Amino acid sequence: MATENIEDAKAQMGYDPTTNYDEATMAQQRQIEQEIAGCQPLIGKETDLKTLHDEYSPEDKIYQDKITDLQRKHSAYRRIRMDGNCFYRGFGFGYMEKLLKDKSELQRFKEVVTTSKDEMIKLGFPSFTIEDFHSNFIEVLEKLEKDCGVDELLEIFNDQGYSDYLVVYLRLLVSGHLQKNDDFFMNFIEGGRSVKEFCAQEVEPMGKESDHIHITALTAITGVPVCIEYMDRSEGHGVTTLVFPDDKTPVLTLLYKPGHYDLLY
Amino acid sequence: MAGSALKRLMAEYKQLTLNPPEGIVAGPVNEDNFFEWEALITGPEDTCFEGGVFPARLTFPSDYPLSPPKMKFSCDIFHPNIYADGRVCISILHAPGDDPMGYESSAERWSPVQSVEKILLSVVSMLAEPNDESAANVDAAKTWREDREKFNDIAHSTVRKSIGL
Repeated sequence: MATENIEDAKAQMGYDPTTNYDEATMAQQRQIEQEIAGCQPLIGKETDLKTLHDEYSPEDKIYQDKITDLQRKHSAYRRIRMDGNCFYRGFGFGYMEKLLKDKSELQRFKEVVTTSKDEMIKLGFPSFTIEDFHSNFIEVLEKLEKDCGVDELLEIFNDQGYSDYLVVYLRLLVSGHLQKNDDFFMNFIEGGRSVKEFCAQEVEPMGKESDHIHITALTAITGVPVCIEYMDRSEGHGVTTLVFPDDKTPVLTLLYKPGHYDLLY
Repeated sequence: MAGSALKRLMAEYKQLTLNPPEGIVAGPVNEDNFFEWEALITGPEDTCFEGGVFPARLTFPSDYPLSPPKMKFSCDIFHPNIYADGRVCISILHAPGDDPMGYESSAERWSPVQSVEKILLSVVSMLAEPNDESAANVDAAKTWREDREKFNDIAHSTVRKSIGL
């Protein structure tokens, strides 16, 4: 569309060039975020899977059947806040919860995280931009080494500052892995973008949702296999189960409903 | 986590002082408040803004760098991507999805690994190459597109004013 037409259209809609729409849009978005934040914790309590039935109408046979199927393998779930970071936050909490009971796995993972910083600097991330996220992540892992229980972990993950810094570092791990293996991953990126551009637009910014490519990268770089139960409106009575990578035994399971991940037990 | 924004801003200030990018000076207005910076941007060479020195304010949110700062020129500057009140409107100052101007999907966006330096470099490119598809100042966009000579004249007088002539 020619730019003149856009301006004509703006004039017809009562567009006022002196108004700062930019600010107004951002203020509205902040308000929506705060409303969501007010009614949903970042990581919810462990809840019986039965309650998921109540979220859908009893006549909604597709979802009701799929929830029944899900109950054959799982008993409970935790709701993760819908803020576009749910995959990373759910993964982070679910995995660290396992680490509370597995100190040797914790040491392995700490080593992965420790060495990842230099890898990222090698890829061109300025060190001052990753330093704080890295040290926050290590700080939390050091808390897990000490006497940390599920309640304390839940507290850490529900503290917006800590929690978001953990999410940022997981995003950076994904970005680093994709960029390091760009020969391979470039084949999966649409829109003629380079892997680096994809990472800057779809991985590094907070709130950008995750797809198969992000999951593949995070499970590969962390060495933590993940199972995803896909529950959508497609035909069939059961959920679709995918394991990343498919030849490993998953350490944790996430429930995917279109646009969102929760944590399954 | 309190203090992490401050720590990051101090690190960025140090970085900008040690390796200043060409044509850009930036730092806190006073060292008691690292959340309010002043920047001086030199008009890029071979453009209508060449020779000018333009002051701007950067205001950082308490959760920086999770959220981007806001930037506002404190001098008059007639440009398609700068509001009449001086506020800068470019894609790097917005997270993806935060899309008031309908930026192109390939446009550079805010993320926690961006920095003040990247923003200021984007502003220099913006001065050199206005984006009249996502105009904040419609009048400036129109003049840029339809009457380049007039646009250049206004820019030249802005340049002279910016250096006190």
